[in-house]
Amino acid sequence: MAEALFYVLGAGAVLFAIGVVRARMPLFSVLSLLGTFFCLAGIYLLAGFPFLAATQLLVYAGAIMVLFLFVIMLLNLGDAAELERHAGLSLSGRRLVVAGSAAALLGLVGLAAADVDAVFAAGELPEERALDDLSTLARLLFSRYMLPFEAASLLLLATMVAVIVLAKRQREKNPFSSAPGARAQHSEEPVQGGVQR
Amino acid sequence: MNVPTDHLLALSAILFALGVLGFLVRKNVIIVLASIELMLNAANLSFLAASRHWSQTTLAGQGDPSAGPIFAIFVILVAAAEAAVGLALVIALYRLKQTVALDGMAELRG
Amino acid sequence: MSAMLWWLLFTPLVGAIVCGALHFAALRAGHGSLDQGRGGHDRHAGGAARALAGRVACAAIAVALGLSLWACLRLARGGETLVLESSTWHWIAAGSFTVDLSLVVDRLSSVMLLVITGVGFLIHVYSLGYMAHDPGYARFFAYLNLFVFAMLALVLSSSLLGLFVGWEGVGLCSYLLIGFWYEKGWPAEAAQKAFVVNRVGDACFLVGSFLLLRLFGTLDLSEIAGANFHLLGARSGEIALAALLLFGGACGKSAQFPLFTWLPDAMAGPTPVSALIHAATMVTAGVYLVLRLNPLFAAVPAVLFVIGCVGALTALIGASSALLQNDIKKVLAYSTISQLGYMFLGLSAGAWSAALFHLVTHAFFKGLLFLGSGSVIHGLSDEQDMRKMGGLKRAMPRTFLTFVAGAAALSGLPLLSGFFSKDEILARNFALGGFHLTLWGVGVATAALTAFYTWRMVALTFFGAERFDRAHVHPHESPALMTVPLVILALLSVLGGLLNLPHVLPGAGLLQHWLEPVTRAGDELLRREVEHGHVAALTEWLLLGFGAALALFFAQRGFHGYTQGPARDQALERGQPKLASFLAGAWQFDKSYHARIVLPLRAAAETLSAGFDRRGIDAAVDGAGTLARALGQHLRALADGQVKHYALWMGMGAALLSLTWVLG
Repeated sequence: MAEALFYVLGAGAVLFAIGVVRARMPLFSVLSLLGTFFCLAGIYLLAGFPFLAATQLLVYAGAIMVLFLFVIMLLNLGDAAELERHAGLSLSGRRLVVAGSAAALLGLVGLAAADVDAVFAAGELPEERALDDLSTLARLLFSRYMLPFEAASLLLLATMVAVIVLAKRQREKNPFSSAPGARAQHSEEPVQGGVQR
Repeated sequence: MNVPTDHLLALSAILFALGVLGFLVRKNVIIVLASIELMLNAANLSFLAASRHWSQTTLAGQGDPSAGPIFAIFVILVAAAEAAVGLALVIALYRLKQTVALDGMAELRG
Repeated sequence: MSAMLWWLLFTPLVGAIVCGALHFAALRAGHGSLDQGRGGHDRHAGGAARALAGRVACAAIAVALGLSLWACLRLARGGETLVLESSTWHWIAAGSFTVDLSLVVDRLSSVMLLVITGVGFLIHVYSLGYMAHDPGYARFFAYLNLFVFAMLALVLSSSLLGLFVGWEGVGLCSYLLIGFWYEKGWPAEAAQKAFVVNRVGDACFLVGSFLLLRLFGTLDLSEIAGANFHLLGARSGEIALAALLLFGGACGKSAQFPLFTWLPDAMAGPTPVSALIHAATMVTAGVYLVLRLNPLFAAVPAVLFVIGCVGALTALIGASSALLQNDIKKVLAYSTISQLGYMFLGLSAGAWSAALFHLVTHAFFKGLLFLGSGSVIHGLSDEQDMRKMGGLKRAMPRTFLTFVAGAAALSGLPLLSGFFSKDEILARNFALGGFHLTLWGVGVATAALTAFYTWRMVALTFFGAERFDRAHVHPHESPALMTVPLVILALLSVLGGLLNLPHVLPGAGLLQHWLEPVTRAGDELLRREVEHGHVAALTEWLLLGFGAALALFFAQRGFHGYTQGPARDQALERGQPKLASFLAGAWQFDKSYHARIVLPLRAAAETLSAGFDRRGIDAAVDGAGTLARALGQHLRALADGQVKHYALWMGMGAALLSLTWVLG
């Protein structure tokens, strides 16, 4: 059962990856990437890394993808008409597809989570506990891998500073418009958004 | 789950290859960044596959099976940082060039 | 005691350094730019630093003179075998070959010391007056002191290597001093010519000393001189070669055939330089070398034969060339070449002390003549052409009288120093008979020519109508600083004969006796080869009389022919133009050297420079640069700013690496 699930999730990951590469607009690319993340999270779960699966979903799907979407929205690449043209489905159809896929994915993940216990209970793994036991991880992070841990925190600090500096809008004359990263100006021709091939 | 490690690694390889393809082929910077994320995920998968492999076999004394998840955590961390900075760069570049096509950004030409 | 020798040697060096410092101080104070030649007679180039330099230099030489006298007195009191020595540390210690840094004063070097420091001191004092208006005053005295230091090193050194250091040092100072007024152009060329011709001699010297080292295992002069030459009979060929090569070195330094062409050109330097270096001291270094190693040369009579031929030939060339010179200093230069030939003629006959005697008297009268000519030149505002002189005996009486004394000594007029020294050399050659008789004949002919050209010079300069431009030139007597040394040298020229009177006179042979410890070995070696007896008393008197008569006759002919000016020269040029140009150009050696050696060398240098250096080496170096740039230009295409291309290269590189890792 678990094996079949693995192959399904694997195929899904590949399909979504192809979607990432082939998408016409960056929005679709990012959404496909989201799908990949979900499938991968499921695979992690099946392989015996529940904590990693959760982290994957939290950080990748929950933070990074959101960031991508924010930027796409910020840059306002493409317009509604183009979106309509490339989508291929009507608005309600699209909503249905999105809802359906989300439900399916969640279902799959839930199945995988439910199956894990059964797998464990069946004793197919020599070890009774998960391979990424949280206490072990925590212990290791603060002992043997202390240095990378600290370095990683410095990296995050640097990243924060860098991002703020890079994305900060140059001070305009209006002191009240202090929103970081102002909207880009509109140009006449449609901005080169998801132009591919 | 009794999936042989080879299959996991094969999946990782396919995902990585797709990521490289997207990175090389696409013009849109955001899609390129997404491809990079794909590559990182593929790498993550291979780490975990190896960790699982070492913990399963009787060669448990060799290698450190817990290094897999730890490294995967760090990879996720770094990927997040890199995505953030990359997107900030995209914003800055967009402000400058009014485009996100990689072709138009050849400022570092020698 | 031993410290005194080091004081003797190094005081002039200290003087040179101080003068050098004073020169730079004067430069900074604005006196005496290097760009000014000797034209500034009206400009009083003052400066306390400059004035101090002259006094310091003279004081240094005075100290050296005092110490030389002290050394001589010690030797005189100490008996025959006393030698003053002082060693310090090993200079070179390479296995069995050692060279020490040590100084030796024996009877030979004591004579040389007195000449160097004594005549040197007089010339220094003279220079105080002569160079007073020259901007390079301090620099001059620095060089002059440096020269004395080098010459002392040459004479005092106990080893052939130390001697060579002094040898090179005097060569360097000669270069610096000949080219003293380098801004005029030709002195620099003359200096280079002197240096290069000397170099040829130096090369011979070096090879000779290598051979000596191989033969004797040492470069110590006393050890080489004291070696038992008969034990090395089988290797006499090598010894002869070594001696010949050393003589080659001497030829370069002492301006003998064929390396004499530099000396007339060296007259481009200031007159005190010509007096000190090119008459009294440096050019005598070759003679000193042979004297110092007289047993070596005596052991190979064939080399002495060569020396005799070269000396006689040089004497003839020099004297005949001096006949038609118009520049007063050139006359004296050729005369010096000729007289040096006499010294070597004496050496070839085994007349060691006679050669040294002539060296000493020559230092006196030739130094005097040069200084006198300098006084004339100074008085005539830098006129050196005798055709533009005449009638100066009224305007410059002291110069005139001293000059006549010197001329009389040079021409060998009886009872003066030159007469006795020249006669001694000729008598010894006559006594040997055989081939030396031919050499004697050449010497006699040269003596005749000497008398002739000497008095021609006197006549043209001091007698007859005044041929100089009376409007611009006002001849005047030189200051006391210049005339007092002239007087002293004149006295020495006149009385110097007392040093070594011929045997038929009472009080004879002082120098010969003094020198005996040094020359004994050489004399013994010669005695085995040649029947070498003293000249009979009658023969001696006849030779003396003959020499006196010859000198007087030709002196009168020379004088008489030119009291009315240089008309006779012009007649000769019209009648025998080829002979005239041959003699005036010193037998055209300069021209033939120029055509056969200088021009081909220059052409070769040009070819190498243009062809090999510019096209070959420069092309390679520039080519490397061009190649790098071209390569860079091509590689530039890779850096096109397209991220995708970079990514592609990175990906391919990564794939290659992993492939290597997997496969290897």
